[in-house]
Amino acid sequence: MDFMFVVFAALALVGGLVMAFHQSIVHSAFGLVASLFGVAGLYWTLGADFLGGLQVLIYVGGITVLLLFAVMLSTRDSTRMAFGRYVLVAPIIGLLGMFLFQVYQGVLQVVTELGSPPGEPEPTTQRFGELFLAREGYLLPFELVAVLLLLVLIGAVTVARRGHGAAGPRRESTT
Amino acid sequence: MTTPLLALQAGAPGTLVGSLSSYLVVSGVLFVLGVATILTRRNALYILMGTELILNAANINFVAFARFGGFGMDGQVMALIVIMLAAAEAAIALAIVLRIFHDFGSIDITRTDSLRD
Repeated sequence: MDFMFVVFAALALVGGLVMAFHQSIVHSAFGLVASLFGVAGLYWTLGADFLGGLQVLIYVGGITVLLLFAVMLSTRDSTRMAFGRYVLVAPIIGLLGMFLFQVYQGVLQVVTELGSPPGEPEPTTQRFGELFLAREGYLLPFELVAVLLLLVLIGAVTVARRGHGAAGPRRESTT
Repeated sequence: MTTPLLALQAGAPGTLVGSLSSYLVVSGVLFVLGVATILTRRNALYILMGTELILNAANINFVAFARFGGFGMDGQVMALIVIMLAAAEAAIALAIVLRIFHDFGSIDITRTDSLRD
């Protein structure tokens, strides 16, 4: 389990680094794919088998394909980053890292006091089904998310569709 | 005296790998990488990718605390809801990106300033 943790954590971190620092947006997108897959692996090492599978299906299979389509359809302009901005951003990031470290230390203390030690991981798919379809569980959020996804489906089509009428294309100083 | 960050260990005693704090470190680094991506790029798609990475970092925390804290399934359910909402958010945001590209000829977010004047 520890070995798998190292493998998947390294995958997630290297993917994230590639995404954050590579100059080509296609390489960055594939770095994101690697990172999301690494996160799915981390779910598996945490005993969340169903969640890891869903992560692969939705993120690695769905969202990144959408992203790659958008990359192919839209980026004609340069995606290079200004290295000067890193000089400005670096202190912010450092402070953020230190802040996170402090928060984690506090939270870890609380968890050590309140929580119980982890038991053996067991299959979670049945538990998910029971939780999402039981009235005392998460039935209402589940149904709300379903309605939201339908709205998003219609909304995305409406927004992305080629506008007709007064709101025609207004290309000014392209690229 | 050990610091709290080294206190919770799941695996063999004396190893940090696979403990709660190691998951927190991974998630913290991913979060910071996402923030760095958002702050340094001007391409709208990069900003989207940074957002996805930040959401994933938060999800790792949910699942890790649910496991190591012994808090049952609630953390995993929350992570699943976050995944579903992230899918919705990505679809809408990509539609908006395509719309912006169609209208402005670029997805450089510093050029989409027609509301400014």
